[in-house]
Amino acid sequence: MRRVVVTGLGMLTPLGNDLATSWDGLIAARSGIGHITSFDASDYEYPIAGELKQFDDEAVVDRKMLRRMDRASVLALAAAREAVADAGLDLAVEPSEDIGVVLGTGIGGGHLIVENQRLLDEKGPRRVSPFLITQMLPDTATGLIAIELGANGPNMAITAACATGGAAPGEAAEIIARGEAEIVIAGGFEAPLRPIFYAGFHAMRALAHHDDPTMAARPFDAERNGFVVAEGAGVMVMESLEHAQQRGAEIYGEWMGSASSSDAVDMVAAADDGRGVAIAMRKALKRADLQTSKIDYINAHGPGTPLGDRVESFAIRKVFGEDANNLMVSSTKSMIGHMMGASGAIEAMVALLTTKHGVVPPTINYANPDPDCDLDYVPNEAREADVRYAMSTSVGLGGHNSAIIFGRWEGE
Amino acid sequence: MAASGQSERRVVITGIGMVTAVGIGRETTWEALLNGENGIGPVTLCDTTDLASRVAGEVTDFDPLDFIDRKQARRMDRFTQLALAASGEAIEQAGIDIEARADEVGCMIGCGIGGIQTLEEQFKVLFEHGPSRISPFLVPSFISDMAAGQVSIRYGARGPSYNTVSACASGADAIGTSFEVIRRGDAVAMITGGAEAGVSRMGLASFHASRALSTSFNDDPDRAARPFDIDRDGFVLAEGAATLIIEDLECAQERGAEVIAEVISYGQSADAFHVTQPSENGEGAARAMEIALGHAGIAASEIDYVNAHGTSTQLNDKFETMSVKTVFGESALSLPISATKSMVGHTLGACGAIEGAVTALSLRDQRIHMTRNLDNPDPDCDLDYVPEGVRNVDLTYAMSNSLGFGGHNSSLIFRRFDG
Repeated sequence: MRRVVVTGLGMLTPLGNDLATSWDGLIAARSGIGHITSFDASDYEYPIAGELKQFDDEAVVDRKMLRRMDRASVLALAAAREAVADAGLDLAVEPSEDIGVVLGTGIGGGHLIVENQRLLDEKGPRRVSPFLITQMLPDTATGLIAIELGANGPNMAITAACATGGAAPGEAAEIIARGEAEIVIAGGFEAPLRPIFYAGFHAMRALAHHDDPTMAARPFDAERNGFVVAEGAGVMVMESLEHAQQRGAEIYGEWMGSASSSDAVDMVAAADDGRGVAIAMRKALKRADLQTSKIDYINAHGPGTPLGDRVESFAIRKVFGEDANNLMVSSTKSMIGHMMGASGAIEAMVALLTTKHGVVPPTINYANPDPDCDLDYVPNEAREADVRYAMSTSVGLGGHNSAIIFGRWEGE
Repeated sequence: MAASGQSERRVVITGIGMVTAVGIGRETTWEALLNGENGIGPVTLCDTTDLASRVAGEVTDFDPLDFIDRKQARRMDRFTQLALAASGEAIEQAGIDIEARADEVGCMIGCGIGGIQTLEEQFKVLFEHGPSRISPFLVPSFISDMAAGQVSIRYGARGPSYNTVSACASGADAIGTSFEVIRRGDAVAMITGGAEAGVSRMGLASFHASRALSTSFNDDPDRAARPFDIDRDGFVLAEGAATLIIEDLECAQERGAEVIAEVISYGQSADAFHVTQPSENGEGAARAMEIALGHAGIAASEIDYVNAHGTSTQLNDKFETMSVKTVFGESALSLPISATKSMVGHTLGACGAIEGAVTALSLRDQRIHMTRNLDNPDPDCDLDYVPEGVRNVDLTYAMSNSLGFGGHNSSLIFRRFDG
């Protein structure tokens, strides 16, 4: 099997419209959460979300293309451009068949069905957009990125609800490892701040509430009461080690292994014993050929729901045993919210960056310890630490789980 | 890229389940296809009076309560119900004890769109009654990974689980990705396939808006799906599902399972050309076939049958024909090719799985089905599309191709299994 490294990153989060600003915000323990401004949410008592700030869709694609693309695809394209530029890829010299695109999303542009439904009902079928199908399909973003980059290699989207963003880079890395591509543009994207989906999450009683929106997302805290929906995208350039070295690329870190699993219990609630996420963690460790003692940091799924955080903590204890006592665990959702299919990718990238920068972002809003959540959650302040191997876990509706492990690049 | 050769694990198909417009159940569907029966009819699932395309391939007489209890069924979109029906049949045929190795059995069900019918209903609720009346099951019914999720839950499969989305190649990519998952040792068996239930007002209106659907045969639905025929005028929207149980050959042999066919390779490519149109001359599709042939380590001339994507749109069928000629050269002239969509319509994210299942059954029975409605040949489509009816053949290798909006191309190669 071939080794796989990461050579470029691109990120859009409620803390910043690029990687550097987002990372700085995470390390400064800032909250990107606020009141909803992107649609009329006055029907809700606590209209809270993690929105991108001053993000201009028209700076990414022109107005004509914008009419043909959902915002979700725009975010994916913007993050992919940043990642490709960051990797210093010269697309003119890379064989196009050797470049693939594998991105995840939970919903894609599904809300456009709703907008077009109104046109269909009120004005008839002639008013339905000719671009609706491609706008709403989750894989349109991967197709558009392929067109822009001229990438003729393996190309698909993956959906696994909120575990998507972890599953996509894992599958991308396997494609490189088995020799199907030299480079895969991998990650996740989501633009879920649409009335129909917000109403759906609200109906599930899954959303966090607090008078101060910046304090609504409080993973692992005893008073946590739900998650905060957010939008964003995270894309990385994954590459075979050989190829990266040949072209003299700067390497962020190495993909060590990943795995996905299913709880096989309930379509909404996590398995009470966290068995599914435990399977994903164990299998990823096995794929990476690492003992639990080697992992220094876990970027947890940590959505901030009463059940989710408890179950995940339990699963980490079960998998890591005594080693859990020496493990840092933080949830960056405390600052950037829950970006559904983008979260796993962004959090995988955060885990990777901790190995490079030697600093771990905190779990903010952590004030009241919960006896059921008894790990070191790096409360409220970033921590300098020597991180050799870091893991990111993701858990989704439908019982999907994923885990991905990165290792520090030390030039060997 | 050279063939991966990452492992010696062989992967075989031990169970198949199908729910299509020509039948509920594997053998019912297969018999109907061999008999050249038509599954296309007037749309009954929604009001079509103001729609331009009023024909579809519906799974008539599908009662979810035959497969799922009432309370559960109410919380699922139709695509998930179809997936559960097909998966139950496949698992039963395979006779695999999932509980015994739950962590090693995964589930990937491809789906392009997800729960469009749920979304349409909930939109009416939101519009007429406000957000407080929205169903708590909206999100978990709509999201397209839920077929994979619900099948995992029903059968206790705790291995790798997600949905691969590549528009109309989704089902093929689910099978191909599952094949790779087993080869790399992440699972010993996978429940894999595709499901879609897009026959709705919005589905019909929006595919028509992108100028993809047949509109000339509303009064003669029997003739609407006509791949490779000169009078073809678009695809016929359809619903359905197929599930394959694929597993490590050693695992299948240990438990004495009957093998239907062997999966030997998977090739995938992107056109990187246009969001809805295929690349010129079908060069993207040709590349996927060439990659699959390369991995299989066989020459194009060794392929005995191709189950085509064959949608019945002008461009697809013409370019797909060109891509076959590019890859197969001289041997294209003696290669039988048939389009299952001529009888069951275009099931979008499910079609790659249904056609994969059909390809496996062709190898099992050494028989291939016809392309229905090929009455008037098109000079641009001049290969052997098996227009006359079922044909008995000697098959060793068979290929199934899927091509999707967004420029996704996937090719699967199966082999007859002789023990």
